[in-house]
Amino acid sequence: MATLPEGTTHTQTDTAPPRVVGFLCDWAVRSEGLLNPDDTLVGMPHVTVLRVPCSGFVKPSWLELALRSGAAGTFVCGCPMGDCLNREGNWIMEDRIDQLRKRLSRQKVDPERVAFFAFGLHDREPFLRAVAEFVEKLRGSGGKR
Amino acid sequence: MYRRLLSTLQSATLRLDTWIHRALPQDFNPLYYTGGLANLFLTILVVSGILIFLYYEPSLEGAYASVEFLTRDVPYGVVFRGVHRYAADAYLVAILLHLFRNWFTDRYREARDSQWLSGMFLLVVSAFTGFTGYLLVWDERAQLLTSLTVQALQSVPLVGGWLVRVFLGGPGVNDTTLPRFLYLHVGPAMTLYVLLWWHYVRLRHPKIWPPAVWVLFSLGLLFILTSALPAASGHPAQPGASPEGFPVDWFFLWPYVLARWLAPGWALALVVALVAYGMVIPYTVRESPEQRGLRALGQAVVVEENCTGCELCYYDCPYNAIYMVPSPYPGKSRAAANRKLLAVVVDSRCVECGICIGACPFEALELPRMLDKDVQQRIQRGARAPAPATS
Repeated sequence: MATLPEGTTHTQTDTAPPRVVGFLCDWAVRSEGLLNPDDTLVGMPHVTVLRVPCSGFVKPSWLELALRSGAAGTFVCGCPMGDCLNREGNWIMEDRIDQLRKRLSRQKVDPERVAFFAFGLHDREPFLRAVAEFVEKLRGSGGKR
Repeated sequence: MYRRLLSTLQSATLRLDTWIHRALPQDFNPLYYTGGLANLFLTILVVSGILIFLYYEPSLEGAYASVEFLTRDVPYGVVFRGVHRYAADAYLVAILLHLFRNWFTDRYREARDSQWLSGMFLLVVSAFTGFTGYLLVWDERAQLLTSLTVQALQSVPLVGGWLVRVFLGGPGVNDTTLPRFLYLHVGPAMTLYVLLWWHYVRLRHPKIWPPAVWVLFSLGLLFILTSALPAASGHPAQPGASPEGFPVDWFFLWPYVLARWLAPGWALALVVALVAYGMVIPYTVRESPEQRGLRALGQAVVVEENCTGCELCYYDCPYNAIYMVPSPYPGKSRAAANRKLLAVVVDSRCVECGICIGACPFEALELPRMLDKDVQQRIQRGARAPAPATS
């Protein structure tokens, strides 16, 4: 697995980092200063994050669309389990992602390319760590399409 | 100022969660189950209350003795009494935690006001039920609470005397007073279930029970408290006596603690003012969603041409804001052409969360200011963008 030493950034000479499209609930991690104007994560230009009103807003077909359009992986981040502002958006989304994963594995697509995270307002660091780990995992699997 | 205070409190509430999550898995955080815990304690109160009721004698002469008989001579009577007493405390603590958590995490505004209002009524009725429970023992404390309440009610303009008669069953304490107190304890307790129906009516799958581990923990806590500090009465009430002080649960009977410094009438006025303020809290914040730093995406809209009447959105909406009605005309898409039902969004209940959009496989629901096609474009842009240059 190609890992980068701390503090270095990706370069074109390196194998290009896998592209990831994610969805972030407005009520989960505080998004101030988290995103660039073009929706990419600060410090991780290969990760595009769309802010959504609730993790339950995300259609599974959007996750499939992201994979089909060339992303190596896709994730949804909701509030901590049990603390969804809309009561059960994150439970519903976790369930939908479970179903999507089963469907993907029947279609011979690696289900590990879809991830679900649950982080609260103050969990920015754990969230960024989880995204970085997800990217590394995708890179390890060779970005299978 | 008020806004900044609220956002500080919200930040602090959620910070507390991150500390709890260091010790417990997310979905075992007890603060996520304050409503369920309150319901658990209410159930314990009802069960233990029925057992106590079997031994209780509502009369001036017999009330104190019957409670003493239950405590001393009935097998496990002291346990039932203790559990009833401590469950009442725990119930009120759970309700207050529920209130403050939902207040500080913004779960009371706009479409959620129905739950907030019913919650305030539940709080008032619960506190009143707890208060009349103290009277039933008919010891010195009950006597003092009664006389303070009578003073407070008498100072109400116009209807004061009438309120006292309603409370005591006559101008003073008489033979019908304790049966009346018993009714004032049991009657409102039953009202709680009517109010709970209101509290839950707009919620699909309300979380009304905490995880099993917290049920066991709460029961264990009640039994430990009961054995460590058994519930006990004060001296029996004496006609004409004027007891001075006694230990009270300050969070339960704080208006009576205030009565030490404040005329009982003013303490009552303070309680009424606080409750009245509580009722209007959802309507005090008048700013628009934009001013609150939120993206107002608009309430969900059904694209009638595409709706197939499959009911997936109906089952996923957490606020029962979607109704299925008999389809008045066929849909336009092939899947919708033979539909029997049509989804309808009830605007006053929609909180703009978009969970129904995630549920719909037929592109028949949209949030007006975050359309499906725009999201798809952004996804494709993100997924296809060329490998980033050195950043």
